[in-house]
Amino acid sequence: MFRLFEESGFTRVRSAVVPGFRFRRPSTQDSAEAYGVKAVMMTAVKPE
Amino acid sequence: MLDALAAQASLEAVLKDEILRMYQEVADDPDAEFHFFHGRAAAELFGYDPEWLDRAPAGAVASFAGVGNPHLRAGIREGDTVLDLGSGAGLDAIVASWGAGPSGRVIGVDLNPAMCLKAQAHAAATGAEMECHQGAMESLPLPDGGADVVISNGVINLSFRKRRVVEEMFRVLKPGGRVSITDIVSGKQLSQSIVNDPKLWAS
Repeated sequence: MFRLFEESGFTRVRSAVVPGFRFRRPSTQDSAEAYGVKAVMMTAVKPE
Repeated sequence: MLDALAAQASLEAVLKDEILRMYQEVADDPDAEFHFFHGRAAAELFGYDPEWLDRAPAGAVASFAGVGNPHLRAGIREGDTVLDLGSGAGLDAIVASWGAGPSGRVIGVDLNPAMCLKAQAHAAATGAEMECHQGAMESLPLPDGGADVVISNGVINLSFRKRRVVEEMFRVLKPGGRVSITDIVSGKQLSQSIVNDPKLWAS
């Protein structure tokens, strides 16, 4: 996703993991962890 | 090649139906249990100001299905035009409208026209004005260069064409405009069995 923003022309692309995010069901959370699934916050700017 | 394109189009259509069904269910039956946390508990977990949650209509809070808090870095200012991509029941648009104030403008886009109506009703109940357009995030029903800020919460991951979504956000922003989103990403390529499972994709 980070790369998509940069390749689309955005600048100042920043990302950080959303603390505390998890899936409700343990089985879903286990699968998510196995695939490195996480919630992120991203910001970016369209150049002037 | 044509077979592959037809197969993807077919899968996208199935996914679209599943996404509409799941998020309609969150709106219609917010007390049900889903794969994800939702409602006030989720919003508090992500740092939404409790005063916002007290002030917003209960229905908008109960149906909140975000994965983070895009407002933390959105920097919405008085007079801004804000686009909420995948506005759902409207909580994020309502919070954005408080930042943009009466001289600002908040526009929601949602795949589900019923959710647009619900979000607008929730916004109106707080005295805020929100316009909501039914549409797809891969083809936003908005002109070029009109938005100061795009926010989105847990929606872009649902698209099969994420590059197209990001290009659309770029198109509708003014020069100098900014994006603040929260979303789900995967560190590894998902297996085909997950990609082909509409319920898992939609969650």
